[in-house]
Amino acid sequence: MVSTMSSVTASRAPSRSRADKPDYLGFGLGLRPQHYTDILDGDPDVDWFEVISENYMVPGGRPLQMLDRIRARYPIVMHGVSLSIASTAPFDATYLAGLKALAARTEPKFVSDHLCWTGVHGVNLHDLLPIPYTREALDHVVARIQYVQDYLQRPIAIENVSSYVQFAHADMSEWEFIAEMTRRTGCWLVFDVNNVFVSAFNHGFDAYEFINGVPADRVVQFHLAGHEHATTHIIDTHDAMVPEPVWALYRAAVKRFGRVSTLIERDDNIPPLSDLVAELSTARRIACELLPELAVI
Amino acid sequence: MTAKSRAKIIAEAATESAKRMSLADTQALFQKALLDGDDAILASVCDGAHTTRDRLFGVYLHAYRARLAVILAQDYACLAAHVGADAFAALAQAYITANPSHTPNARWFGSRFPAFLRALPGHAQHPEYADLADLEKAAGDAFDAPDADPLTIATLAQQVPPEAWGRLVFTPHPSVMLVAVETDAFALWKAIKAGEAAPSLEDRAPRHLVAWRHQGTPMVRAISGEEAMMWIEASRGVRFDVLCEMVATYDAAETAALRAAGYLQGWLTTDMLASATPAPDDESA
Repeated sequence: MVSTMSSVTASRAPSRSRADKPDYLGFGLGLRPQHYTDILDGDPDVDWFEVISENYMVPGGRPLQMLDRIRARYPIVMHGVSLSIASTAPFDATYLAGLKALAARTEPKFVSDHLCWTGVHGVNLHDLLPIPYTREALDHVVARIQYVQDYLQRPIAIENVSSYVQFAHADMSEWEFIAEMTRRTGCWLVFDVNNVFVSAFNHGFDAYEFINGVPADRVVQFHLAGHEHATTHIIDTHDAMVPEPVWALYRAAVKRFGRVSTLIERDDNIPPLSDLVAELSTARRIACELLPELAVI
Repeated sequence: MTAKSRAKIIAEAATESAKRMSLADTQALFQKALLDGDDAILASVCDGAHTTRDRLFGVYLHAYRARLAVILAQDYACLAAHVGADAFAALAQAYITANPSHTPNARWFGSRFPAFLRALPGHAQHPEYADLADLEKAAGDAFDAPDADPLTIATLAQQVPPEAWGRLVFTPHPSVMLVAVETDAFALWKAIKAGEAAPSLEDRAPRHLVAWRHQGTPMVRAISGEEAMMWIEASRGVRFDVLCEMVATYDAAETAALRAAGYLQGWLTTDMLASATPAPDDESA
């Protein structure tokens, strides 16, 4: 029944054209509790903050109070780790409702999560686990993204994850999968430069081929972070400064994707806010050198 | 058939099997490897550019347990300090094995840790482990419990005439957590927080602690058996005049009203109540 699939495709196609690309936000940081006071008492040179959605999907108390105060002064992006968009387990309805409620309260510029799964059979492994890039997985992920976008009534953005294994039964490359995924769903992309670097080293693919394989008009955010090089493989730790090879890849990404909101994402070994602001200024300088029009913003 | 050709056939069969493997089967096998150490998934993944597949998959194996252990160490920092790094790591790994997470939010992964400790065979030797964990869990739950405006004495005095106070029915602030322990875990908790030597824990007797949120910060204090009884009954909707009678039966009757009023004053001045409403005049006490 070709008509069934066609009608689904036809009915969803307009959603992509309806959804305006999220505004360019400038240069942001991941919001971490260690920095609440410095952010609210100072005036850090940060254009926006990204929050880990789950950290604020709590009943009440200080986390939500801090978020309310900070969102009154800065644009906010919600970035989740437990949507499990590629899992074959059913969605957790309570989780989705919490995500939608937080989005209603926070009014983020956009909502994102990762191209991964986090568990099946009722278990959550609390990791961003890789998928085989197969036709079956693509159809599954596309359907799930469409479901979430319908439920949240907004396009979501999906981020590439770092990975340590690839599957023997893959039908396509990661970037081919991502390109097809965004074409069929209209979702946006968070392009984590460090994750591409890590996966490229671990699997031996060309990071620049990845960059060139992703649709440039769908990327709405860059993530920049550090990692741990273990000689035979790289572990994505997000606990260190952005190393030079990742800055080099960032330059290539800026050249291809243009003006894209950029984030320094530190998840562990959190330094003083001033250190991250200084690191953010490096991203700002690189982008402004490559895109002179940014320098006047 | 030579060993080499047999190995080739097995490898080809594994590859063919992998090609047919559905996404659901792939994820089930991957998860089984992380939870049970079953390495059958390795037949479906590729070697890396610079190292073997088993070493690369080991990153996931290590990360799974390490991440959850860090969550427990953060949520139960005082217990970790009390038992020491190695002993806490052993407890954490045992918990991780016995209690895979079923929540999408890691915030609640450790919720069953106190009950897990209480059920351990060695609990009788170290009951303070579970007590301390219960206390830390209560403080953590108080931290991000639902919001509600706390009831103040001024508001209550403004809203309810003195002659109606006997009929007051109280609603606790959602952040208040009452904890029953069998050791002086509160003294232990304070000593650990202050970096002091652990107090003697030989005196084992039922005690109550209360955790709640005051101006955004989790607070903990010891609470007498009598006050705990009155709090529990108040939380069940028992009227204030009846609470006074219950206090009178708990200890000296002649000072019961004074003691009950003192407890109520403490609750009102530290944000432990959300509301108090007089029951209808004709309601039986």
